[in-house]
Formats: sequence, C-alpha cells, structure tokens
Amino acid sequence: MAAVRNSGSHRSPSRLTWARLCRDRWSLGALCVVVAILLASFAGGPIASRILGHNGYDQFPYAASISQKPIGPWTRVPALLTGLGNTASGDLTPPPAGTKTTLFVFGADGPLGRDELIRVLDGGKTSLEIAIGGALIALLIGLPLGSLAGYFGGAVDAVVARITEWIMAFPLMLFLVFASVQLDHRLGPIGFGWWLPDGVFAEALLIGAFTSFYPTRLVRAQLLQLRNAEFVESAEMVGASHWWILRRHLLPHLVPTVLVWGAIAIATNILLEVGLSFIGAGVQVSTATWGSLLSTTWGTLLSPQNYNSQSFTPWQTIFPSFAILLAVVSLNQLSEGLRRALDPWAAR
Amino acid sequence: MTRALAFLLRRAVAGFFTIVVMITLTFAIFWATPTQPARFVYTSAGPALSSYQIQHGNHLLGVDRPKVEQWAHYVTHLLRGDFGNGWDGARVVGNTKLVEFPIAPFVEPALRETLSLLLGGAVLVLLLSIPLGAFAGTRIGSLGDRTVSLVALIGICTHPMVIGILVRSLFAGRVHWLPPSGYCPLIRSPAGGCGGPVDWATHLAMPWLTFALLFLALYIRMVRTSVAETMHSDYVRTARAKGATELRVIGRHVLPNAALRVLTMIGMEIGTAIGVSIYIESAFGLGGLASLAVRAMAGNGAALDLPLILAIVFLISAVVVVGNLVVDSFYVFFDPRTAIGADRAPTAKAAAGGVI
Repeated sequence: MAAVRNSGSHRSPSRLTWARLCRDRWSLGALCVVVAILLASFAGGPIASRILGHNGYDQFPYAASISQKPIGPWTRVPALLTGLGNTASGDLTPPPAGTKTTLFVFGADGPLGRDELIRVLDGGKTSLEIAIGGALIALLIGLPLGSLAGYFGGAVDAVVARITEWIMAFPLMLFLVFASVQLDHRLGPIGFGWWLPDGVFAEALLIGAFTSFYPTRLVRAQLLQLRNAEFVESAEMVGASHWWILRRHLLPHLVPTVLVWGAIAIATNILLEVGLSFIGAGVQVSTATWGSLLSTTWGTLLSPQNYNSQSFTPWQTIFPSFAILLAVVSLNQLSEGLRRALDPWAAR
Repeated sequence: MTRALAFLLRRAVAGFFTIVVMITLTFAIFWATPTQPARFVYTSAGPALSSYQIQHGNHLLGVDRPKVEQWAHYVTHLLRGDFGNGWDGARVVGNTKLVEFPIAPFVEPALRETLSLLLGGAVLVLLLSIPLGAFAGTRIGSLGDRTVSLVALIGICTHPMVIGILVRSLFAGRVHWLPPSGYCPLIRSPAGGCGGPVDWATHLAMPWLTFALLFLALYIRMVRTSVAETMHSDYVRTARAKGATELRVIGRHVLPNAALRVLTMIGMEIGTAIGVSIYIESAFGLGGLASLAVRAMAGNGAALDLPLILAIVFLISAVVVVGNLVVDSFYVFFDPRTAIGADRAPTAKAAAGGVI
C-alpha cells in the first residue's frame, strides 16, 4: 500500500522497507531488543566491570561458601582476591571490619566466585561472535555455490545439489563429538588470538560449514526463478558477461532472502553453540559463553551432573537461559518482520 | 498408482545412495584422522608402538589391505546383513589369530532403545501439539493463543539436558512416581529382570516428555498457522453452511490439511531428533545409538573402533532414510498430487543431522 500511496515521490526500496518495518510494532520491538543485546554483549562487560570495580575473571574467595556454594544475586562481597586463612571450623576467616565490599548483581558463578552478571555479558559476546561468524562462513560457502547452481543449472546444478544433500544427511552431531575429541587440539589454536578468544573461530567454522547447505539451497532456488527473467535476458542481449549479470543484476535480488535467513541462522547458531558446550567441545573453559555458563551447572554429555537441592543455584540457570531466550525469540521475530517488510505483497 | 509406486521407488533408490555415501564419508574421515588401529591389538603397549607392532596389528585387523578393497568388503558384508566384528576387546591368540566380538549384539538393543524413544516421543508430540495448535489457531491473537505460544517457546530455549535433569528431579527425585533412569525392553526376556509394556512405558515416560517439550513449540506453531489459514478457505465455509458443528469442521475439514505439513515436518526433523536424543539418553541413562556413538567416538584415547562407528552411522542413516520413506508413502496416500507432479523437493534437512 505504501508504494501506491507514495507513488508521486521517489523513495528507495530500502527506505520503503524501513517504513514498513517501523509500522510493525512487534518487529520494531524485536529490532530494539536485538540492538540492545548486541550493545550489552560487546560493550556491557567492560562498562559493568568499570562500574562494579571487578571483571569477569576475578575470583573472589568470599563469593562462595564453605560448601562451595556460590552466593546469590544482589549480594555484597568483601573485595578481596585472596582469603585471609581459615578458621578452626574450616570456614574462611571473616574479613576485618571496614573491608571494602563489591556488589555481585547476579550472584557468583560457582566455587571460583566470579561475577555472574559480567560473565553473562561476556558470554553473550563470545556466543554472538560464534553465531554471527558461523552465519558469515555459511554465507561465504553458500552464496557462490548456490549462485553457480542456480545460474548455470544443468550439470553444475546436479553436482551442487548432490553435495548439499550429502552435507544435509551427514550425522553432524556425531561428527561434532568426534571433532571435539579428535580435532580440537588442532583447530582450537587457529584463533585470531588478539581479537577472538581461542576456539571461537574453530567453532564458527564447524557450525558454518555444516549449516552452509541452507543458504546454498535458498540462493539456488531464488536464482532458478530469476534466471529467465526479462531483465536478465535483456542484459544478455546487450552483451553483459555472466559475472556482470550475476553481480549487478542478480545479487541485489538476494539481499532480502539473505537478511531473512541471516536473522534465523544467528538464532539457530546460538542454540547450536549451547549444544556444543554440552558436548564439552568448543572454546576454552575459562572463556564464558551462554552455553558454557549453563553446562558448568548441568555438566556435559559424558559427565552429567545430578540435581541436588542443597547445592542448586537457580540463578546460574535462569540468567543465561533468559539471555538465550531473549536473543532467540527476538531474532526470530525480527526475521519474520523483515520477511514481511521486504515483500510488500506477502500475506500479512 | 503406478506413478505413486515409481515415486516411492525413486525415493528409495536415492535413500540407498545416501546411505552408501555416508559409509564412504565415514571411511574417508577415519583414514584422514591420525588414529592407530594397532592399539586395539597391543592394548598394553607403551605410549609409542614399534613399527613391527603397528604392521602386525594392522595386518591382524585387516587394515593393511588397499582401502578400496576394505570398503568393498565392508559394503558387501553389510548388504548381507553382517555388521562384522568390532576391534575393541580383540584378543590375539597364538600371535597369528585375532578373536573379535561381533557387533550385532551391541547395536541391536541400542537400536531398539533409540526407536522406542523416537516413536514414543513423536506420538506424544502429535498428541499434544495437534489439540493445542488447533486451539490456538482458531483464536489467533487471543490471550489463550498467546499463552500457548509463549509456554511452548520455553521448551526450545532451554537445553534438553537441563529439561531432562529438571524433569527427572521432579518426577523421580521429588514425588517418586517414575523410575529415575534406565531402560526396560518391551518384551520381557525369559531370564527375568524388568520388562513388559508397563515397565517399558514407565521407564520411558520422562524421556518422552523431555523430547516432546523440546519439539512442541515447532509443531504447535505449524498446526496453528495451518489451521488459521484453512479456517478462511471456501470449503470450510461450505461445511459451515451445510450446518456442520464446529468440532466436525475442525476435525474433518481443517485438521487433515494440517496433517500434511506436520508430516513434512516430521520427515525433516528425524535427523535432528536423533541428534537431540544424545542429550536425552545422557540425562536418563539410556543406552541408545546416540550414546553408543558418543562412547565409540570419544572413548578410547587416540584409537577409533571403525567397524562399530560404521555400524552406528549405517543404522542412523537407515533410520532417517526409512523414516523419510514412510513419511513419503503417507504423503502419497494423503496428497496424491505429489506423486503426479515432480518429486517432492527433498525438503528434508534429512538424515542424521541437525543439532539443537
């Protein structure tokens, strides 16, 4: 409708899309949540560290009780990084009066006594790096393969279709278990250590490679439809090369598809990363991710932990789960909203 | 009819090739990994095997033959239904002969456990998602609709392992209604022990519930959308005009249409379901294919038990391929258009794949 109403003024398609997205309350809300999560993950950790006066790696002995049960949310803890010796009963000597304290907003993360809030924020950074990196790598593989298959068709298409089918059929879960045990020590160090923590790149690579069949199929289907469109024919007629047609005439048509897929893919990759943490694969234990925060309480596949009401610390499950829930739900909603906004004729 | 059969036959052939490719890939990956099969023969040797030990061990296991020959040997035996012998636990007799254990007795019970988990879980998902989806789909946007959708979402955002342990601590730890873990065969063995339909169902009730909670969101959403779309179609209006009750309209005219989409979805998700069952089996101490696979791949230090892994990969791909074939034949039955038109696009995120 917007296109018709504004037919007098020339507005670019991206402006129109933006206008349609803004009119969709739920999707706009989802977009705001996604932006907030990105900001909180990439900038929240350092900011919170500055405000609270400690970072996510500092271990506070006073943040865990004698039974190694961490303290709960919104507790003040003596700001001491080493204990003051033990009393006769084995408990830590209480600090002298007037010791400075530091606030643990989400409580502590386990016997080590690190700040759960900062670890959730930092974990978001690592999780999103893996999720976004995985989606980019999948796109990097899927876009050329899918374009070739869709544009040239015939034998090329048949080969690509078979390869994607096999990747789809591959027992990914089993391969990941295998990779975590057999390949981790080789892939792990391929980090860009100064920028990404160890293991992040390897994990993104594994996830990206095995989910690349999805963009491949999408791009292929889209190009199959457009291959015989009139604007392609006319470009051919004036002597444009294949490369030129692909790049200038067809690639722009893929942007909506890729955007809609991208939001969903990042959501799925976040869940995949959680799954990998439960296998015990992935990044170093000291690096927090949303998955590893959960698996520290619940154990991994090979050593599941049992529930014990004495030592159970609900905040360690609730906060990371809530972060995952928020990210996944808002990304899904955003993808849905994008799909509707990008296609003016789509059924509402 | 012949068209439908031809369609199914084509799918079956494609499925067969998928299985062969999976086996070939497993071979390739195995040989690309730095692993020492000879370790299975010289179990008590030090950290490094001597070159004689490696040669002799490989010879006894038969891995010194050309790789293509090994592959052909394996596939021909598999076609005869023979999984061969596992390497783990092999014993050397008189320095020239190897006593190995056949694999079949290992993997068959595991297959039964996996199938019990998957089938029961799928039935529970359908039993819950169809009524709830129809409920939400007939009143889109209402409070009831939003509640159902939101509650279902929680299932996919919490990891199955967490759900599993929570369910277990509730039903087995707190109220003691159900046995906490383990598996009992459906048919009681004459030797005694637990078994029979009741033991089978009570032991699997919690794994089924965990499984259902995980997949519920997806299916409720699917049924809901489908029902909401169909409610406005002409034939539903016709049925209403003829005076059919609301229950009959939904039961006879709307839901069968949704069934098609649910079927497609089930086909797509079989692989994911097997992947997820790794976590569920781990949380409830079941010994299905997935946990067998984890042990085979993570287990023995640097050495991988190739025949066992091959058998597991074969069975998992077979479950997925056969499952998809069953879905396809239902499809032909429900919606004859598929067989007449081109092949249903292999929507399947097929075989043993996806992860949650």
